[in-house]
Amino acid sequence: MPGDPAAVWSLIQRADELIKYASNRDERAAYAQARAALTEAEILIPELDEPQRVRFTEQIALRRGDLDRYDPAS
Amino acid sequence: MILRRSNDERIPPGQHLTRGWPVLHEGPIPRFDPATWRFRCFGLVEREIEWTWDEFTSFPRTQLTSDFHCVTAWSKLDNTWEGVPFREIYARADVSPAATHALVHAPFGYSANLPLDALLDDDVVFAFTHDGKPLEPKHGGPMRLVVPKRYAWKSVKWADGIEFLDHNERGFWEVRGYHNDAFPFEEQRYSWQEA
Repeated sequence: MPGDPAAVWSLIQRADELIKYASNRDERAAYAQARAALTEAEILIPELDEPQRVRFTEQIALRRGDLDRYDPAS
Repeated sequence: MILRRSNDERIPPGQHLTRGWPVLHEGPIPRFDPATWRFRCFGLVEREIEWTWDEFTSFPRTQLTSDFHCVTAWSKLDNTWEGVPFREIYARADVSPAATHALVHAPFGYSANLPLDALLDDDVVFAFTHDGKPLEPKHGGPMRLVVPKRYAWKSVKWADGIEFLDHNERGFWEVRGYHNDAFPFEEQRYSWQEA
């Protein structure tokens, strides 16, 4: 049975919100939580069908690249 | 007779009113130095142009009041902005007639795309003040774009350039799964909603 793309998107959105609101709190902690949300999303990706796997893998890679730019020391 | 919509009618579906003004943005707040700040117009222009801070702030200004809707579900009504209308920039940028769209750029690779028609609307402004006070850095100061009819990620903070295009090229969030048009009253939040 295929996985739930909405669950993956929800975790990606969670990462987005953690990144966007990071300046209101401990930025590094927020970025670490965003990375964790993306890792959770990645765990669900193999259960998706092929087009969704490609789409969400690309989306997660974009966000990991953003986090590497904003928080290069981590 | 002045017809004024009630607050309920001004709040798009899925939104709630915020009391304050939440701070959210991608990446760090850029440092502002008026001596080195530049605003660049490029892409489909007859010649590229760069304005200094003194030049940009000398352009004619307007003041207008509009509502503001963030895709993270808060709305803030009756914001008074003062700044340079997009039309003033467009008139000075020597834009090619072939241009139909633009990407508005900001530091750290941020951008948002809009049709020129939308940017030329009379409520679109590069704002320096909010409710009579200089725009704080955390809200995009010293200058941000304001596009009230779209979700707020299109209102680019710390805008530092416009790239004129003959096609609709997706910006930062639009590439990351968010809607190309972003009309709040149609609740156009995500790219999967696009026809």
